[in-house]
Formats: sequence, C-alpha cells, structure tokens
Amino acid sequence: MSDSVAPAKTEQKRAINRLKSMYPLRNLVAQDYINTLQASNEGKPTVWAMLNYWEGDLPLKAMGLNIVYPENYSTLMASSGTAEPFLDASDSDGFPTHMCGYGRSTIGYSFRMMKQNDGKIPPEAPMGGMAKPTLLLGSGIICDARFKWFQALSRYFDAPEWCLEMPMMGTFEGTEPDLEEYQVKFLVRELRDFIAFLEKLLGKKMDWAKLEELIEVGIKIHETCWQIHELRKVSPCPMHSTDFWSSMPPALFFAGDMYEALKCYQDMLTEVQERVKNKVAAINYPEKYRIVFAELPPWHSLKFFDNLAEMGWNFVYESYGYHNPRPPDLSKVSDPVEKLARLSRNFVFNVHPYAKADGIENPIVETYLRIAKGWKADGLFLHPLISCRAASAGLRSVQDQLQKRLDVPTLWVEGDIIDKRVFNPQETLARAEAFEQTMEHYRKVRKSRGLDW
Amino acid sequence: MDIIASKLFFTGIDIGSTMSKAAVVDAEGVMLGYVIGPTGAEHRRRANMVMEDVLAKCGVSLDEIAYIISTGYGRVNVPFADKQVTELTCHARGVAALFPDVRTAIDIGGQDAKVLKIKNGKLVDFLTNDKCAAGTGRFLEVAAETLGLELNEMGRISLQSDTPVKINSLCTIFAQQEIIASLSEGKPLPDILAGVYIAIATRVVKLARQLKVEPPVVFTGGVAKNGGMVKAIEAVLGMPVSVPPEPLITGCLGAAILARDEAFKLINRGEYKLQKKQLSEAYIEFTEKTR
Amino acid sequence: MAIATNKGLSLAREIYADRSKRVRELRRDGKKIVGYICLYPPVEIITALGLVPFRIFGDMSEPITAADRVSTTMVCPFVRSILDLGLKGKFDFLDGVVGAHTCDIGAGIILQWRDAIKDAPFTHLLDVPHTDHAPAVDYFEGQINSFKRHIEELAGEKLTDDKLKKACEMHNEQRKLVRQLYDLRKPDPPLLSSAENLEVMVALSSLPVEEGNSLLEDIIQEVTERKVKPSPKKVRLLVWGPVFDNTALYDLIESADAHVVVDDTCVGTRAFWADVKPPYNLHALAQHYLVDIKCPRTYRQAEPFETRRDYDKDLDSRFNYIKKAIVDWGVNGVVLQSVKYCDTHGYEVPNLRHYLDTLGIPSIYIEHDYSERSMAPIKTRVEAFVETLG
Repeated sequence: MSDSVAPAKTEQKRAINRLKSMYPLRNLVAQDYINTLQASNEGKPTVWAMLNYWEGDLPLKAMGLNIVYPENYSTLMASSGTAEPFLDASDSDGFPTHMCGYGRSTIGYSFRMMKQNDGKIPPEAPMGGMAKPTLLLGSGIICDARFKWFQALSRYFDAPEWCLEMPMMGTFEGTEPDLEEYQVKFLVRELRDFIAFLEKLLGKKMDWAKLEELIEVGIKIHETCWQIHELRKVSPCPMHSTDFWSSMPPALFFAGDMYEALKCYQDMLTEVQERVKNKVAAINYPEKYRIVFAELPPWHSLKFFDNLAEMGWNFVYESYGYHNPRPPDLSKVSDPVEKLARLSRNFVFNVHPYAKADGIENPIVETYLRIAKGWKADGLFLHPLISCRAASAGLRSVQDQLQKRLDVPTLWVEGDIIDKRVFNPQETLARAEAFEQTMEHYRKVRKSRGLDW
Repeated sequence: MDIIASKLFFTGIDIGSTMSKAAVVDAEGVMLGYVIGPTGAEHRRRANMVMEDVLAKCGVSLDEIAYIISTGYGRVNVPFADKQVTELTCHARGVAALFPDVRTAIDIGGQDAKVLKIKNGKLVDFLTNDKCAAGTGRFLEVAAETLGLELNEMGRISLQSDTPVKINSLCTIFAQQEIIASLSEGKPLPDILAGVYIAIATRVVKLARQLKVEPPVVFTGGVAKNGGMVKAIEAVLGMPVSVPPEPLITGCLGAAILARDEAFKLINRGEYKLQKKQLSEAYIEFTEKTR
Repeated sequence: MAIATNKGLSLAREIYADRSKRVRELRRDGKKIVGYICLYPPVEIITALGLVPFRIFGDMSEPITAADRVSTTMVCPFVRSILDLGLKGKFDFLDGVVGAHTCDIGAGIILQWRDAIKDAPFTHLLDVPHTDHAPAVDYFEGQINSFKRHIEELAGEKLTDDKLKKACEMHNEQRKLVRQLYDLRKPDPPLLSSAENLEVMVALSSLPVEEGNSLLEDIIQEVTERKVKPSPKKVRLLVWGPVFDNTALYDLIESADAHVVVDDTCVGTRAFWADVKPPYNLHALAQHYLVDIKCPRTYRQAEPFETRRDYDKDLDSRFNYIKKAIVDWGVNGVVLQSVKYCDTHGYEVPNLRHYLDTLGIPSIYIEHDYSERSMAPIKTRVEAFVETLG
C-alpha cells in the first residue's frame, strides 16, 4: 500500500522479487477510499475506524458501511510525501508535537477540511482523500492514542465516537483460570451494546445472517494468511516484508470486498507454495541474511529495503501487530457476537500461554522470541519511532532477551512512521554493513550452543 | 503630571543571551537614547556597564533615574533594578510604543524565538521556542560558520537568489550536513543562504500560526536586521512585516516605559522616594564592590 | 533520649524529603508494604488486609541512567524514572507492587518489573477498561476481585466485608480531610502555599491511612492557627495535568506574582473529590475508581449511545468539574502542564483550553520531561503568563 498502484514494468531488475499476487490485494484498499467518497457523495453514512482487530470491522461491514482507516491513510500520506503540511496544521491548532504521527496527520487533515476548506476534502490530500465521517470508531487495543485522538476530533466533527473495549494484561494475570470466559462475557456485552448503537445511529437492524457469513469469510482469510506466513520459514524465504505490508489491509482490517480478498490470498498462497517448491527467493540476490523487522516500517523510505536486498538481506517476518494469529476453532460457537469476541480476543491473548511457559512477562518479547526461532532470524532490525510509544516501548526488552536467550543480534535504527526527516538512510546502510560482521559472529555462537541456525 | 515627575527619567535594561541593551525614557515616555553591547559571561558587571553607558549617552545622572526595570534572560542579575519583568511583556510594550496598532510581534533572538499577540498595547498571548536552535539566530551562526561567511554579509548575498535550496532537517546538526551537501553539489551560495533563511522562517512562522497571526506584524530581534531574513519571513507568512529602525531595543524600551508606568503608580501611592533611595544605595554599593 | 517527634507541616516536609522512612520503620516492625502505581489500584483493599499502601513515584532529581537498558527514550519520562529507580534497587523496601492499566505505557511498568527489576516478591497488574460503560464497570469489578484473591495470599488473610467497610471509611475520612485541606486555600490569600500542600499530599501517599489522617488533622489545625499568613498576590491559578510529585513547579509558579490555589492532578485532588459509596463492596470500588475518578485516561461522553456529538456539550460533560473548582476557588488562570509523550493528557490540551476560553479563563500549556532541570526554561513563560493576567 506504499508504493505506486500500478505494477512495476521492470520487475526482473528489482532487488526485491515482488509477488504478483500482492498487487490485487494492494488495490483492494484503494477501492475502499473510492467507495467511501462515492457513498459520502450519495449522502450515505461513512466511517473512520481505528484498527480494532475485527471486533468492530465485521459488524460495520455487515451493516453495509463504507469504512476508511486514518492510520492506513496516514501511511499513504507518509509514502506519498504529503504528510508535512497536515502535521503542521495539527501543531498550529494547538496539539502537542510529541504525539503520534498518525494522530497528528489525521488531526491536521480534519482541521484543514473543517476549519480551512469549508468541510470539503483538502485539495492536497492524496488518493482523493477521506470522506467526512458519520461515525468515528475508536479502539483501545494496543494504544491509548487511538481512542483519545478520535475523541479530540469533536473539535471538528459532530460525528459520534464509539470506543471499543479490549482487555490488556500481563502474562501472570492473562493466564488465570476461567479468564477467557470472563473476558468473553465482557466483550459480548460490549459488542451487543455497540451493535444496538449502530442500529440506533443508522435507523436499521443488523443483518445477522450477513454478520455470520462475514465472520466465516474472515476466519478463512486469516487461516490462509497464517499458512502463507508459515511458508516463509523456509530458506530462501519466498516473500519479503514489503510484500506483506503492501498486502496486509484485507486481513488486518478486512479492506475491500472480503470474498475477493479471500480469493486473492488463496492466489498468494499458491504463488508462495510455487516459490517454495522451486526455491525462489523474495530477493533477486542470494539470501545471505534472514532479517526480522520490528515494528512499524518507515513508510516514507521503503525504497531503502531495495538497498538492503542488494546486500543479500531478506526480510522474512515483521510487524507482529499487523499479523493475524491462526484463528481459534470456533466451529462450536453458535452466537456470532461470541465468535467475534473470541476471534478478536485471540489476537491479544494467543501468546500468553507460551510466554508463561518461557517465564517471560512481556507478551511482545515472547512474540519476537517465537518469530526469531521459527523464522530462523540472523538479526532483528528494530525501528523505534519518535512518534509512537506503543510500537517502541517494548523494543529494548526485545533486544535484551533476544540477545540473552537466543544470541540473535539486533540493529537499532531510530526513525519514524511519518516524519522522514528523522531517518538517515545513508548512515543506516553504513551501519548495516558493519552489522553483517555481528550476524556472522552470532551465527557461530548459536551453532556452538546447538541452536539450528 | 506634576513638576517632580517631569524631571525624572526611567531606565529599562535587557540582559539577553548574547546582547545587553539599555534605554532611558522621560516622563512622557519618549526615548532619550539607548546602548547595545555584548552580554558575555558576567551578567552583573555587564548590567553595571550598560547602565553607566546609557546614562552617559543620555546625559542623565543616576539621581535623576526614578525607576529601573530589568528584563531578559539575565534579568535577575541586575542588582540595582527595582523590578524584574519578563522579556515577553517588555517586548510587547516596546513594540506597541513604536507601532501602536501592532497585533502580532515576531522576535528572533540569539538563542530563542518568540511570538507575541498584542492587543491595545498589551501582551495577551505568546509562544516561545527555547528548546531548539533551529529557528533562532544560533542557526544562522552555524550556517555562517559552515559557509565561512560573516553574519552581516549573508543577508545581502541571499537577496540575489530566486530558487532557494530546500533544507528539510529539523535539527541544526543535520541541517548543517545538508548545507555541506548542497555546497558539494555546486549549488549557488545565494540559493543556499536563501534556503537557510526559509528554513528558519518556516520554524518561526509555524510557531506564529499556533497563535493565529493577525496583521499588522512587527519583526524584531537581532535577526530582524538581516534583509534576507525579513524577506523570508514575509514570503513564508504571506504578509508584510514592519521592522523597527533598531530591532534590538524593543525589550529595553518596553522595560523603560513600564518603569515609567510603575514609578507613577508609586508616586501616586506616595512610595516613590523610598524606592528611589533604595535604588541609589544598591547601585553605589555594587559599583564600589566591583571596582 | 529522642527529641520530640516532628509533627504537622514539618513532619509532612520530612516525609516528603525521605518518603520511605516511615514505611521502612513499619516494615522492621513486621508490616508488609505494598507499592502501587497511579491512582487506580484500590488502596482500600490493601489497607483492609493489614498491609500498608505506598504510592510509587519517580524522582525528578535523579538522572535516568539504568532505564535505557529496558526502555526507549521516547516513552513517558515518569515511567522511565520509576523503572530507573527500580533497576537501581531503590524500592527494596516493598513487599509487593501493584500496577494498573491506566495507560499502556504505565501498565508496562509491571511487565518490566517482573522481567527486569524482580525486586518485590508480589506483583499484580489490574486491567482497567477504557470506558465507563456499564459492562466495563462490571468487568473492572472482576479485576478487583482477582486482585483481592491474589493479594490475600500476600497478606495471609481473607478480606471480610467488615474489614473492607472499615478501610473504606478510613479512606473516605482521608478524602474528607483532604477536601478540608484544600478549603484552606479558598481564602485570598490562601492559608498555605501550593508547595506545602504538595508536601502534604506526597506524605499522605507514603503513610498508612490512619497516620495520614492524624497528620491531616494536625496540619489543618496548625494552618488555621498560623500567625504568619502568605502575602497577597495578583493571580490565583489552577494547575492541571498528569502526575506531578515535586514542589519545583509550584515553587516556580509562586515565585511569580501568583498563588496556585487548587489543582486537577493525580497527586492532588483527583483521588479525593469523591468518596467510595456504601455498601462498600467491590462493585462500589469499581464504580468509584472507574467512573468517579476523573482522569483523561477514561473515555467519557456527554450521553451514552449519543448519535451526534455536540462539541460544547461534550467538553462540558468532561470538564465541568474543573469549572466548579475554578468558581469555588476563585481561579483566574489555568496552567496546563504535561509530561512529554503523555497521550492521554496531550490530546485534551487544545480542547480543554477551548473550554477554558469559553469560560473566559486564560490558560497556558507547558510541557516538561519530568526532571528538575526541565523546569528552568518554563520560568519565563509562567512569569509572562502571570504578567498577562495583571
């Protein structure tokens, strides 16, 4: 979703060997922006939503609503180089400058739209812009910013906000007996209230059959994605991180038509299987190093990964917060709301039992330990962000534990999701070259410890 | 105004981070004269010297000074001042004395930048940047050092540019690297300089926009002496700005005028003489000690 | 022979300067000390089980050096300071640590405590839901129940209705006394300074509730009878924002021509406006902490299920308790302070300032990095703000 929409013509010359099946998936999210603009023009309701790990996406879709995700839109601003005036607009309206870059972009966009452009889309907005919302769907999963910044938008819009709930716990509390049922009960009550609210707002009833159907399609999408990424454990890795980031929206927030998305992911699975069979790598250079990326990428500088690919760096896994876990078996659950609650809850709590077994408290640390082992990482590329706490706070512990427990070294590169001015590609490339010696060294150390990569 | 008051004079002393200034006004608030000198490390000695210089220049004796207000970064280090007032309030007062209709004042000093909203000659709101060298005179100094130029020739050279180089970095150190890179790419010097001015202006105007800029706008501070900087501020702001004949002295002028207002308040309360005596004693004692 | 024991304001100052002194003594006498982070762990349960609650703060005068091993520099410096002190062994007198998911970064302290600090044998993290929805209150009651079951193990005894009722009453008594303490700053000039007030508030968070209550009684009497009253000043301010546990800011403001007469911060009034309501059960605690404590970390709206959001109504529903304080304490200016990287407070800033504008109350926003050295640059701005109010 970051580079240009049209497939590249000179594919074979690229350093990264992109999957053909990625392009239609990338286009699905573009369709959402167009549909939402069209709906808005026709006077139909439109939604701005935060990533909510499906508990909100699916009811909205079942109600036939058109949705855009400002977090995703902010990445488009960043990658198209248009974020800066929106960041400035947010600052000029008095929001502190140290907050989330996505939040500031969205606030600046709303300010430009409502205070300076008469409620119309600002002309400099990329992709035709986000249509004015009738509903703001906030979420408390992963970070506080994502319900607070929508709350702050009351400054510009009279659209109501609904804030979705999701528990957050450490390993000890998150593995208590009976916990799951208690959490599901809470989420089910919340979701029933949310649906009642949607019905009141839209003046129509939930299409329960549709909701059940979409949940089933969603589960299939997630199962397919999970299979795709399991295949990336082989060497050479058949799919690069940039392909994941480009193709993730239809699984991460069910962008586009879900039936079409399912078909596209099935095509992707087939293409990846082919590559595995034929030992085709995701880079057009020998895979010298297998790298895992944490956590959010520099959307404005993705070309940088081409330079690393030329050095034989293959990015084999990335961004745990953007991946769906394997969906749990929900075949025995009959109530669609309960299914939804369990599907969504599983994103937050799937790793807790493993963390407990490993004696680790912070689930993010456990997640990256599992990824490094499973995908046989030579190194981790850690990208702490100046404007995102949630994706940066745990990285020091990840670094610490990976080194201690697995002898997997990390490259620490400060940057940002939006503000390209804080990222220094030249210097990073120079450090990357030096980091190769470190990775070579720890390869030997791991071998001597009896680890298998 | 009574006879006693009309014989009195009032001083404002502005000890800034790089320059110290002082001005004397009469009972009508009219400026008799001012002095400007470098601050240096010893604020107290500097305050003393600036005071002596300004008295000599205006031909006024210490006994005739009714009230002294100190302002600026070093305002606490003026032992003979009757009162300390922040540079923000003093600048606003000084700018309004020179431009009675002013609504917005932008001041770029050696180490900081400030934006003032002024209504009826009074400060009503303000923002400051004191955390970051970019957007202050310090940034210009770094650029001058990097390019091997004197500060006072930069403005003139920059005015020859039509296509300023774009400088993206938020940080002075990175920006310095960008300037070096532009030089090695063979970019013309006027364009690089104009780019430096645009970069500073962009930072400061960003600050100003938070307060909703209203005309007329006055631009002050040491950096306002630089024609290239004035041009850049106007370009980024999209409106004309006025610059006082001596943009460094608005702070001390405002302090002197506020000193006058304060003294009249005391005179009306019958507390004036007491203040006067304290002032003289503190000054003499200090002068004896430092000599 | 020991000299006479310190009391009243001077005792508060002594505890402020050496917060763990009293609890270390109590620990030597066999008491168990339970550190808690933020306002949300219900201290009533800790007290009811015969344990001593001790609020964990950072230290603005201690440079952060050890925390870089476990945290990045772009997260909340208050959180970093706590981690730093923990890694340096400065909380070695705690038998337990209780955290809450008040904000994401704050909740992380407990995770780091278990992975890196490992100093207290007992740790617990309470999940706090994001909204004040009815199901969220019930869910939070469940969280308090889990916490209760867990901490009963540390206490070696069971919580009974009677013990909880007694603890709630003692803490409510403290809330009442704190409100009386704040009343002492309603006259003009106020009867005690904001720095003195903060010393008292920090002392309360470092003492068993009964000792805190008698300290408060002494102080209220002492201040009321005090001969030397603070001098009158031009301006009466309210200070808003996240945790601020150091007198530096209040000294700085009061060195200008201003008194800080009331605050909306979590070291000041936030925990004390409302009482826990009868029947003093776990549900009452959930209601008190999640609904009655007003912190921007909780999502609130003017009306449940509202389908249209009216800006002014929304702001009034969220901030009218501040308006009440402004009226009751005769406030004529507000200082919004925030530690850098605080998401929950940061997004409020322009909206709260707008609300204050509509009330005709001038405001200023200052941000700092939770260190004493970050106070100095704020000084001129605060003074100029006070000058504009003249």
